[in-house]
Amino acid sequence: MRTAFGILLMVLPGIASSQVRLPEFTREQLPNGAILILLPRHDVPLVSVRAVFRGGAEIEPQGMNGITAATVEMMRRGAGKRTAAQIDLDLDFLGASLNAGANRQSAYFSLEFLAKTAPEAMAILADILTQPAFPEDELRKVLAQAADRVRSSKDNPAAAVGPYFNGFFYPAGHPYRHSGTPDELSVSGINREEVLNHYRRMAAGKNLIFVAAGDFDSKQFAPLARKIAGALPAGEAVNAAADAAPRFDRPRLLLVDKPDATQTYFRIGMPGIHRRHPDRAALLAANTLFGGRFTSLLNDALRVNAGLTYGANSILDLDRLTGAIAINSYTPTATTAKAIDLALEVLNQFAGKGITQEQLDSARAYIKGNFPTDRLETSDQLCAILAELELFGLGRDDIDGFFQRLDALTPELVNAAIRRHFTAGNLQFCLVGNAAAIEKEAAKYAKSMKVVSIKTEGFAPPDF
Amino acid sequence: MRRLAGIFIVAAFAMEAQMVQVTEHTLSNGMKILIHEDHDVPNVALYLFFKVGSRNERPGATGISHFFEHMMFNGAKKYGPKQFDIQMEKAGGRNNAYTSRDVTVYTDWFPRTALELMFDMEADRIRDLSFDPKIVESERGVVSSERRTSVDNSPFGTLYEQLNATAYIAHPYQWPVVGWASDIEAWTMEDLKAHYRMGYAPNNCVVVVSGDVTPAEALPLAKKYFEPIPRQDPPPPVRTLEPPQLGERRVEVRRPANLPLLMASFHIGPARDPDFPVYQVIETILAGGRSSRLHQRLVEKEQLVLNAGGGVRPSLDPGQFLFSFQVRSGRKPSDVEKSLYEELERLGKEPVPAEELQKAKNQILADFYRELKTISGKANLLGTYEVFFGSWNEILNAPARIEKVSAEDVKRVAARIFAPRNRTAGTLIPEPGAEVKQ
Repeated sequence: MRTAFGILLMVLPGIASSQVRLPEFTREQLPNGAILILLPRHDVPLVSVRAVFRGGAEIEPQGMNGITAATVEMMRRGAGKRTAAQIDLDLDFLGASLNAGANRQSAYFSLEFLAKTAPEAMAILADILTQPAFPEDELRKVLAQAADRVRSSKDNPAAAVGPYFNGFFYPAGHPYRHSGTPDELSVSGINREEVLNHYRRMAAGKNLIFVAAGDFDSKQFAPLARKIAGALPAGEAVNAAADAAPRFDRPRLLLVDKPDATQTYFRIGMPGIHRRHPDRAALLAANTLFGGRFTSLLNDALRVNAGLTYGANSILDLDRLTGAIAINSYTPTATTAKAIDLALEVLNQFAGKGITQEQLDSARAYIKGNFPTDRLETSDQLCAILAELELFGLGRDDIDGFFQRLDALTPELVNAAIRRHFTAGNLQFCLVGNAAAIEKEAAKYAKSMKVVSIKTEGFAPPDF
Repeated sequence: MRRLAGIFIVAAFAMEAQMVQVTEHTLSNGMKILIHEDHDVPNVALYLFFKVGSRNERPGATGISHFFEHMMFNGAKKYGPKQFDIQMEKAGGRNNAYTSRDVTVYTDWFPRTALELMFDMEADRIRDLSFDPKIVESERGVVSSERRTSVDNSPFGTLYEQLNATAYIAHPYQWPVVGWASDIEAWTMEDLKAHYRMGYAPNNCVVVVSGDVTPAEALPLAKKYFEPIPRQDPPPPVRTLEPPQLGERRVEVRRPANLPLLMASFHIGPARDPDFPVYQVIETILAGGRSSRLHQRLVEKEQLVLNAGGGVRPSLDPGQFLFSFQVRSGRKPSDVEKSLYEELERLGKEPVPAEELQKAKNQILADFYRELKTISGKANLLGTYEVFFGSWNEILNAPARIEKVSAEDVKRVAARIFAPRNRTAGTLIPEPGAEVKQ
């Protein structure tokens, strides 16, 4: 495979001259506070449903990180009259697929089924959302599996560097410090009572966004959807945390020791923005040029020109609270310092020189060109984008006006945003690799440096 | 209701299959063009399937197909180094590529406005690729890093490579697509040029255009840019046939890890084996979804593994039924093996219940739809059917072929392929001191 860019670019949308518009949809608020959004479209005979509960990692009690993911997984493990195995069987018999998970600001269920099986598929979803049983034996299994998943991820440094970075980058108590799944430590603090409490807090009408798109007739489908979304008690709207952007007064470096690693996997972070930030369009363009596509400055320098890595990119978080801008790459152990030095040189030049009109034109065309297939092509993509607008309190103009906002960018505007956010000082380095081989040269990046063994449970960093 | 659901799915699919309208044209140089119109989004997916992969390589130059896949982006006569990516991204497009044992596939996604540019750039590199020694050396580093990530720093990748090298003793499927590390360091310029001449003939390529495009737009571009590329000899036939396996083979890998791994491989036929639909049904019964036999027993009931992966992929030469398990902490790969083999034996002895067979067919047919959701999914499906199953038209027959599979077929084929003598088992054992405490 040539590049893994596609996988990492989830936040990056992209066409030529014309504008994009969301298809027509209906939105209503049900008596219990739930928001119901319907978008019929007749492409393939499939229907996608996305049920989103506000909250996610933001509402997890201290020491119980991952409880949202555990709760969501438990909801499909026995509900109504169906056992966990029966739910699996019923879904598979219909050829339906159900994905459920949690992220920083929400928990979600994403169900896709053949249009003709709507009544059966929706009945299963109704049981899962409104009548979960939370059997004790299933919870023990789910938690033990979660702990083993973390152990498995630590065998793969490419998978482990992200959770370590988050634990290190965000201060104690910050909801983004945890990756959203339970780890070897937090599983011991999660029990049935806590899961049940978490479900009651989260699964309330006031927190529910219920979106369906695909091959249905609204007259027949709307009553089915209203029945499910309207069945939950109104409950209390979750108390969203106030924004607290990470601040750093000095560079720090966390080195995670994996003695058998033959490459160093590194992330270099700085504070970024949130999803509603006015600099979003400018930073999307800036990040596209910096590390958001194949010809980006980072990938061009580290991969194409120097052959130091299979890929170098930068990640721009766009969550409800302020996240990170992070350089992300890996290189053979022996070229660790060379690769990091080069990444820093690219950052310094970018922060200092900014971008040109020609670069901006190219980035804009790239974002626009990829946007339709990235976000608007399938029913499940449309469900995701409609739920996202609701979750972040944005209207349809966020999409319909997106290309206009890109068109309004000038090099001056983008460069001002770069100066505000791409800071070459007080960077936060997280490295996973063979500490014995790289510790000495790693020390030059930050006086505050700590080493932790990958065998230590959890992802929490030592005190700095 | 359960039976009915199955019938609904088949009926609905048949209707959709007629919607997969394709215009087919073969240029005078032998290059085949398939065009599918889909105007949902203003974008196009252009997929080029070259029928060359690691099966066409030789010892000493393993991985060269994959390396060549990288080289195709490094400059040609009209569009020099970096220009393919620069021009494409500037026009709002994006690309990737992948190499397998059988094919090398170039995948371009772009707004319809970039259609002519893409034909021009693809033709340029198929016909006039340049070979700059400096770029070759730099790209060697990139591929080494890719290998370190996908093999050396991945327990799964390490074991998978060893398993294949054990399961095949004669056929080229025995070596990794990315190549052995020593070969990556050793390719010569002449190896690269010879590979280009061998694999990149227009008559060795199927082009699929899917999306916001009409045959009236795409065909003249194909004629203008692709047709002048001269025809060449296609790759020589792969003569070696893997000899029948005469008894179980085993391979063990010891390395630092938290958790063990288990993999098992069984020889099966190629994509054009008439039993291929039976393999697909068996794959779904055993490992398709959470209700599958292996997931329910190994993940849920016995809690021996984290995930139960298993299945087949279409291949040009006889391929593999492959299973892969991340073993849970404190569990032994041998316990997983015992349960796995019991399940495989059961499938060869007891007829699968009608309802379970219907469930598997429903899952497979629903998955067809999922592949038809996007222009890139359709481009990939059309090319795959054209290359591996003889014609894109076979997509239309696929639902009926699945529907025809009987419980007796499943029993017969499972008994044959899952015979212990046809098996290669691989285990990854964490080295002492590296295990996780229970």
